[in-house]
Amino acid sequence: MKLLAEVGLVVLAGIVVVVCVSLLPDARPTRRRRVAPPAPERPDQLVALERLVVTAGTSAVHVHAYLRPLLVEIASRRLAGRGQTLERMPDTTARELLGDRLWDIVRPDRPFPEDRQGPGVAPQELRAMLGVLERL
Amino acid sequence: MSGSLAPRTPGLFALAAAGLIAALASGRPELALLSMPFLVFAGAGLILAQEPRLAADIELDRTRLLEGEAVVATVRLRNDGSDSVQVELAPVRSRNLALDPAGVVALDLPSGAVAQVAFAAHPRRWGAHSVGPLVVRARDRLGVTTWAGRLGRRLDVRAFPREQRLRELVAPMRTQPFLGTHVARARGEGIEFADIRPFRVGDRVRRINWRATARRGAPQVNERHPEHSSDVVLLLDTFEEARDQAGGTLDSAVRAAAGLARAHLARRDRVGLVDFGGTLHWLEPAFGITQLYRIIDALLASDIAFSYAWRNVDSIPLRVLSPGALVLAISPLLDKRSVALVTGLRRRGCDLTVIEVSPLDHISPGRSAADNVAYELWRLQREALRARLQSLGIGVAVWERDGGLGPALEGVNTFRRSVQHAVPV
Repeated sequence: MKLLAEVGLVVLAGIVVVVCVSLLPDARPTRRRRVAPPAPERPDQLVALERLVVTAGTSAVHVHAYLRPLLVEIASRRLAGRGQTLERMPDTTARELLGDRLWDIVRPDRPFPEDRQGPGVAPQELRAMLGVLERL
Repeated sequence: MSGSLAPRTPGLFALAAAGLIAALASGRPELALLSMPFLVFAGAGLILAQEPRLAADIELDRTRLLEGEAVVATVRLRNDGSDSVQVELAPVRSRNLALDPAGVVALDLPSGAVAQVAFAAHPRRWGAHSVGPLVVRARDRLGVTTWAGRLGRRLDVRAFPREQRLRELVAPMRTQPFLGTHVARARGEGIEFADIRPFRVGDRVRRINWRATARRGAPQVNERHPEHSSDVVLLLDTFEEARDQAGGTLDSAVRAAAGLARAHLARRDRVGLVDFGGTLHWLEPAFGITQLYRIIDALLASDIAFSYAWRNVDSIPLRVLSPGALVLAISPLLDKRSVALVTGLRRRGCDLTVIEVSPLDHISPGRSAADNVAYELWRLQREALRARLQSLGIGVAVWERDGGLGPALEGVNTFRRSVQHAVPV
């Protein structure tokens, strides 16, 4: 019985050794990890606008200080093709062409917002404005 | 080559040590006996290990090629040692050079044998690339010791940009008094008819227009436009680029610059180059094929260099921008400094055309709704910028990835003809 236990112990030790040897690292190099292709480089202009769209949705000050100049430039260039300017355009024509909300933002006499924490322009609303500008 | 233990050797010693400690702790000699083979194997491997004597050489079938072509790098590895070795090798390569086979190549190299491996190298874009030296790792027959090192030398490969073939070029508004192919506005000796005027003392008899003379009753002579060359300065914007996996705006800009340089030089124009970005490089305008090679060499070295330095027209040496030179600014118009430069050049009365390498093709809208709106806003902002430049009298040719440069230049020529007589800004 004792001999049988000793033989069993030796066999068990042999199995342990074989397992340990198989777990040893191979001398060959490990397979290289596949490197993911680099993400496209987004221009700073676009990244800044992505931030602006988010912040303009939360603050009236951002709309006035940062989004408005952009919309004014785009609207001016678009209207120039129709022989119109923002400064000389009658209020009724402007509201007809640009819509009430866009005209409220781009009109030359727009005052600085009194309520600095007032609502901004949500992305959906801005998309509609851009649609209007594109159709000009 | 530097030698070190193979990754499995410390494991072998650890197993042997574990067996000996277990034998001591339990008082059973069988465990010590069991650990002996590991100790003997690792020890014998270390004692018998000899540094392999390997020699390697790399050869390229050519060192200059066009984008899209491949160069074959042939690696020869010779074992000068007395024992056979197992070798793993991989050539070092520059970032934009893809090798085939891409991974590590494993070889069994008997004593005195020479192995030859061919790697196909594909440049992913134009530029100066390099292959070599070889990173080599060898191990002895027992796999207990490894040697690693670098063999061979570095070889340079120059991949030239695939140029845009151009049939129509931007016509300069002013020409230089050298023989060329542009019909000058001035009058003199040439082929193109300009006008008829009364005969003056000193006029050649062959210039007399006999029909007009007969009709007007006094001698009349033909006036002609001479054929002159022009100075063309290629202004390459390297401030910023938009890039995706298929390439970037700088890649396209360099192809356009190479094509424009070749086409203008073929028309006997003097061509110069200004690499305007984080670093400023320039080549003064000159004629001929040598200038083309100079320009292409300079283009191969161009890269985006990040910089906060504000540069404007004053940064460019006056001798590069000769009076009356046609400036072709190749730019994605992504950086404020580039826009300020082109408007500044125009305000100084420079004959300027912008070739806008559209970044929109390289950038897709973001995932969120807000990012989509921002992308639309960006697109409209760029259109407004283009309109502002055109209002200053700057022709803008928009070059999109799918279209050729030629049609874009045709459009800009039409614009330039319309503003040719406009009041200078």
